Amino acid sequence: MALLRLVLPLLLLAALWEGAVALLQISPFYLPPLRQVLGAIWALGPAYAQAFMVTLGEAVAGFVVGGLVGVVSATAFHHQRWLRDMLFPLFVASQTVPVIAFGAIVVLWFGNTLLAKAAIAFYLTFFPVTVNALAGFEAVDPRQVALLRSFGASRRDIWWKLLLPSALPRIFTALRLSAGLALAGAIVGEWFGASIGVGAMLLAALFNEQVVAMWAAILTAAAVGGAIFGVVALVEARLVFWRDEL
Amino acid sequence: MTDAADQLDQLLTVGEAPAARAKLQLNGVSRRFGAVQALAKVDLGIAEGEFVTLIGPSGCGKSTLFNIVAGLLEADTGGEVLLDGAATSLLGKVAFMPQRDLLLPWRNVLDNAILAAEVEGRPKRAARETARAMAADFGLKGFEDHYPQQLSGGMRQRVALMRTFMFDRDLMLLDEPFGALDALTRAMMQRWLLDIWSRYRRTILFITHDIDEAIFLGDRVVVMSARPGSIKLERRVELPRPRDPALLTTPAFNAIKRELLDAVEEESMKTFAAGAA
Amino acid sequence: MNAALARGLGGGVLLLVLWEAVVRLAAIPPWILPPPSGIVATTWSARGPLLDAGAMTLFEAVTGYGIGAVLGLVLAMLLALATPVRKLVLPMVVVVNSVPVAAYAPLALLWFGTGALSKVVMVAFIVGFTVFLNALDGLLRVDPAAVALLRSFGAGPLGVLWRLRLPTALPAIMVGMRVSTVRSMIVAIVTEMLGSQKGLGWTIFEAVLQIDFLRVWAAILVASLISLGCFAAVSALERRVVFWR
Ligand SMILES: Nc1ncnc2c1ncn2[C@@H]1O[C@H](COP(=O)(O)OP(=O)(O)OP(=O)(O)O)[C@@H](O)[C@H]1O
Ligand SMILES: [Mg+2]
Repeated sequence: MALLRLVLPLLLLAALWEGAVALLQISPFYLPPLRQVLGAIWALGPAYAQAFMVTLGEAVAGFVVGGLVGVVSATAFHHQRWLRDMLFPLFVASQTVPVIAFGAIVVLWFGNTLLAKAAIAFYLTFFPVTVNALAGFEAVDPRQVALLRSFGASRRDIWWKLLLPSALPRIFTALRLSAGLALAGAIVGEWFGASIGVGAMLLAALFNEQVVAMWAAILTAAAVGGAIFGVVALVEARLVFWRDEL
Repeated sequence: MTDAADQLDQLLTVGEAPAARAKLQLNGVSRRFGAVQALAKVDLGIAEGEFVTLIGPSGCGKSTLFNIVAGLLEADTGGEVLLDGAATSLLGKVAFMPQRDLLLPWRNVLDNAILAAEVEGRPKRAARETARAMAADFGLKGFEDHYPQQLSGGMRQRVALMRTFMFDRDLMLLDEPFGALDALTRAMMQRWLLDIWSRYRRTILFITHDIDEAIFLGDRVVVMSARPGSIKLERRVELPRPRDPALLTTPAFNAIKRELLDAVEEESMKTFAAGAA
Repeated sequence: MNAALARGLGGGVLLLVLWEAVVRLAAIPPWILPPPSGIVATTWSARGPLLDAGAMTLFEAVTGYGIGAVLGLVLAMLLALATPVRKLVLPMVVVVNSVPVAAYAPLALLWFGTGALSKVVMVAFIVGFTVFLNALDGLLRVDPAAVALLRSFGAGPLGVLWRLRLPTALPAIMVGMRVSTVRSMIVAIVTEMLGSQKGLGWTIFEAVLQIDFLRVWAAILVASLISLGCFAAVSALERRVVFWR
């Protein structure tokens, strides 16, 4: 049933794509038939698989570190009011910086490595997680904290047994958003001189004006996004099972 | 009474039911919040194994008093809180049940019940075994693996009580545990609590707004005055135990009730007048 | 001035001082990390071309933003009314949205050329999506009991939309609009970097080619200031519109 809900929109979209191309006589310059795009991927299978893996690795590295840093800084902000007053505005300001413009500089710092792309993915990821985790911590009922303290609980106990679980639903909302942002960061990071990866493929297709290759790269990007998103959703379903019943 | 006479009295009563040593002693406990004087010089002693019920108008400082005894709030300087005769840090020494059940939605009944035990560092597995064995006593048999949102209000309250009992402390503070229940469930829970208490034998301080409940449960009823809260009246309840619902219509019960009602009403009127002013 | 504001300003000043000090003391070459003073100086001396470029990018961002916000809102309202269509369309929208917009940028350039049009289209696309998803979520998240009450007063679907769903959704819509401001600048810049002859993205791209990293930083500074300004403006609007929060 869950699988059906996943596959059905994909099939529908595919049918719509093929049907529109055939019926409306769309020029292949705009939208080549899906068959042709899938054929291109099939013909260069290993290359696309490699691009998939490389971009996935970059995005996931930044995503994971960004998520952890987000939760840790939210914890620090929650416990130290002055730290929050001091740094939170900087966090907000950092998000108005068009990080993508940083791409060139980040690549200059880290070289053309996984680290450079992961750093950009990280920069886009940590902020939503910080904001939502903090909101989650702040929303905890103070009476609940008092109860745990009356049991003699330490700060650590309270964090593990109360604050973190209470904030999990909001943290996952942020993680789902961040999954897409991390991927965008990785792709754009590849535009500054990378030779492998989905972003590199997109750029190559643009320079050669190959619409089919471009759509093939877009589908690969969708696969990367779907993979990260899927894992996050699965983990969420396991950890936040009690949310629906609230 | 002189000291010598006091000692003599104690000698003579040796062998009688539990020595009236103060489990908890409050001497001149006050607390203010900014401009609000919540508590003013509360003096109260509770003997070991005693069941004391506390009534008073809304906002008179009952929950504040509990928070102080549980170690969650500091009393203002000048007063003292003695547990077993010593003025120690109180956090983790008293089993406290707050006004709401505060169950965690991601823990099932057993895991909610062992929360305090877990915080103490008891092994989870052993704590769960204990809880499983206690579940029947608390009317939760068959619901061990349910989540709070799947339980009725009465059951949630029993889980919270079980959590409090599992936090194995001699002194228990229960803040309006049955306040949110309907009258029928409440009457059942009262009898059930007395039954549990006679088996687990703890010292209980119990807040309620319901005079019938206060008399039915308590060895002693303490009436607090309107804010700033202090002890207005203490009334021993010499009704025999075990108690059953028929008690509520006896003349003895009604005599106590009349006496308490007068005191409570007077204080409630003060609160009301202060609020209207 | 309250304590929080003072601490916030203190944090900002501290960061700048630390940055300046580290760069000077460690003698870091400006192509790795220029000092803030150097960035400000470069921005000032190149203010003419930078302002021109900023105006171009701002124009693309604002135009695309307006188009996208209106389209997203209208589409969300239509789909909120048409339940069967929504059940069909929404999953597909989610799939399309799972591809980061950056991936569509090359396509837009190919289709709409390297002029302003491709940037406007890209911005409208991302803003439209963000506003659409936020608005739809808000429009559907109303209390069924409140809907029933209004229907019992004789309100039709349009009445419910106007009197209940739209006001309820306003906070969510405004959040979408606020988040979109920064995104619209970023997307305009990204698309410019890939292909254009004007704008901040193009300035950055040119500066990178000429290995003039001070100018890259200067362009980033201008872009950040514009983003911050737009963000502040929309936040102020949000406080007005959603006054009851
Ligand atoms: N943390 C606090 N800060 C400021 N004022 C407080 C605080 N806690 C309690 N008060 C005030 O102290 C007074 C006593 O409150 P408390 O909660 O102890 O009353 P209560 O007797 O438990 O009332 P109820 O029967 O309604 O539960 C109230 O006026 C309340 O406003
Ligand atoms: Mg209270």
